[in-house]
Amino acid sequence: MSGPAFTDLPTEVLEAIFLHLDPPSLFALSQSNRLIKQLTTDSPIIWRHLCRTSFTTWAPQHNIAAKFAGPLPAVNWRALYIRKKRIEHETRRLLDHVLATQHERIRCINGIAEFGYDAKETLLRECACPDDAEDVLARRYYANAALERIHREMAINVWKDVQDGKDVSIDRALGAYDMFARGGEDVDFDLMSEDLDRLANGLLSEHPDFRELSTRAKASTLASYLRDQGFQGVPDTSYRALRNSFIGLVLRSPTHQSLPLISVALFCALAQRVGLDARPCGFLFHVYCLVYAPERHSLDGEYKPSSSGPLDSMYLDPFRSSDEVRQADLLRVLRDMGVPTTDHQTFLSDTTTREMVLRTARNIMNSVQTIRQTQGGVHGISAAWLDAYPDMDNAFYSTIWAMLMLGPGDEGTPGSIQQVSSRRRQYLPYLLEHFQTHFAWDVALLEQYVIPLFYTQPEGQRLLQFVQSMHQIDTLRRPLLRRSARARNVEFKIGQLFRHKRYHYEGVITGWDTSCDAGEEWIQNMGVDRLPGGREQAFYHVLVHDKSVRYVAAENIEPMATGALPSAAIMKLAGRHFKRWDDASHTFVSNLRDEYPDD
Amino acid sequence: MSTEATNAPKIKLVTSDNAEMEVDRQVAERSILIKNLLEDLGGDNDEAIPIPNVNEAVMKKVLEWCEHHRNDPPASQDDDSDSRKKSTDIDEWDQKFMQVDQEMLFEIILAANYLDIKALLDVGCKTVANMIKGKSPDEIRKTFNIQNDFTPEEEEQIRRENEWAEDR
Repeated sequence: MSGPAFTDLPTEVLEAIFLHLDPPSLFALSQSNRLIKQLTTDSPIIWRHLCRTSFTTWAPQHNIAAKFAGPLPAVNWRALYIRKKRIEHETRRLLDHVLATQHERIRCINGIAEFGYDAKETLLRECACPDDAEDVLARRYYANAALERIHREMAINVWKDVQDGKDVSIDRALGAYDMFARGGEDVDFDLMSEDLDRLANGLLSEHPDFRELSTRAKASTLASYLRDQGFQGVPDTSYRALRNSFIGLVLRSPTHQSLPLISVALFCALAQRVGLDARPCGFLFHVYCLVYAPERHSLDGEYKPSSSGPLDSMYLDPFRSSDEVRQADLLRVLRDMGVPTTDHQTFLSDTTTREMVLRTARNIMNSVQTIRQTQGGVHGISAAWLDAYPDMDNAFYSTIWAMLMLGPGDEGTPGSIQQVSSRRRQYLPYLLEHFQTHFAWDVALLEQYVIPLFYTQPEGQRLLQFVQSMHQIDTLRRPLLRRSARARNVEFKIGQLFRHKRYHYEGVITGWDTSCDAGEEWIQNMGVDRLPGGREQAFYHVLVHDKSVRYVAAENIEPMATGALPSAAIMKLAGRHFKRWDDASHTFVSNLRDEYPDD
Repeated sequence: MSTEATNAPKIKLVTSDNAEMEVDRQVAERSILIKNLLEDLGGDNDEAIPIPNVNEAVMKKVLEWCEHHRNDPPASQDDDSDSRKKSTDIDEWDQKFMQVDQEMLFEIILAANYLDIKALLDVGCKTVANMIKGKSPDEIRKTFNIQNDFTPEEEEQIRRENEWAEDR
């Protein structure tokens, strides 16, 4: 054969061939021969192509959009590709460790979380693992847990920036609640920002002369546009719905129902994009919008060269209508409510982004409270959390963090650490209880963001010890509980679905003791000795469909009939301890074998 | 040749092995090299254009492709091959067209590269890529008769270097 061979092809032709290859084929090819290995290793265009086509989520510090837009040689694309690949592998390795054993879960989940958005696409893939995966429930549960942990840290950092006085846009500051509480889904600051950009562009293409309008005309055009796009507040009947407080959700939902605060935030976020100065006004029981004319101009666009006083301004209520609100009407409301004249200015002037975040926290708390009050079952045990969207525990947790990061109220001497901490202190017990129950791995967030707030306080030391003991416990393997002769009285196995004989709630067994292992005080309080079986019967740790964790005497366990399937609520929680539901044995398959090897 | 082409303006090409070929100007102009040459020469030109890098057999194949694709929209000038969507899908006619021995395949690719026929070069590269996909290094060497010039130690080292890249 005298014709050309593969390696005789010119470099640019070989590169064109390489660009058509998937990474595994490219690596196989590069192992075939020295020259080819050299060519594939040294070609930045191939590695940039691979970076572009192989990955979708990048941690912000990569500045990846700028890198892709910049000159090819400015970046070591091969090193970047390898780094991303390593993160992908490491993320999967850590997740597999989490799924294999209970110890070191905190370490592994935080290890994943340190990769931030670089790990997100891998976690999303794991969340979407096939329904028939051997450990489908556990895999989805912990991939989601790690993803939520990443999102929470991003949200906390936004609120930290707000507290540090950095310039944070209102949509970002409020969008942090979406990030925090809706972490498992494809929620993203960039997506929210894109939604707003799209609305802003829509406004400008519908009104090409927008930028020439007077301030007053701009304000009313924007308000009408938003209402035309379906942003019309919310009817009284669903005013308290949790979803009305999440700006990202409001942008995406078909009805765009929102609380006044969110309507105003949307108006301000859009105004900022189209060159209009709009700020929220924290009125009594309602948020209005204050729109300011540019310096030395009236609201109607007249030039006032000699004016040097405050900017001309007007009020709007985008939640209710696109009409201007007269200040006189607002003043009358304040007088009617008996607000002292000296306080009027506070309610009539613009407020800070920080105040809007805190006000949203209170709105969310109110909504969660409403759900808990109206939907609690007879024994306070219901799966109301399943119907509430976003997840009401996540939502509640987000408010505790926002309150802790931003501190309550504006009263008192600003800058006095003593005072800030003492006011924040009241949120600590909620935080500790909540994260211990649901997200133990958030201990790293506690360490990094909460402890510094209390350095000078007695809590500081206690928190530090608490954190250290959690890390300590995390490193330990669970002691083995075998089904020896001593455990003969333990009738039910890990993964058994049951109904409580007296309280009728649904639960699943996650652990057992041969006799009641609780403290004497608990035994007395619960009247264990008054049970027919007393304290010497087997006791079970159980996970209940309302997310609570309980300790139940054997005599109160009523196994579910064969054929009864676990509820949606239990299925969503089960991944924490179980691999999957097994129809044949009518139990959950245990993922606790490192502790209960025989179950 | 199709009937619509009978009255079309023709040009002459001379291949590296001195074969003279007559071809519709529109067909030949799929080659940006020939198109530019014709423009540079200007007006009517009866002189045969020498193509010193392509022999008759290969030129015939290339022109067969150009004939089939004579009415395709011209290739876009966007030269950022990195940002184009990469896909190894090839249309049926092109697939059949590319069923030639390896030597001819590389000759066509080289000719397309030299004559500057982007779409044909692309089809050629995709065909080669499809021959590589899913194969082991050893299978690739066999397919293209590539010499393994690595020492066993180097091979082991490369294998280890690339461990991270293997998909699960």
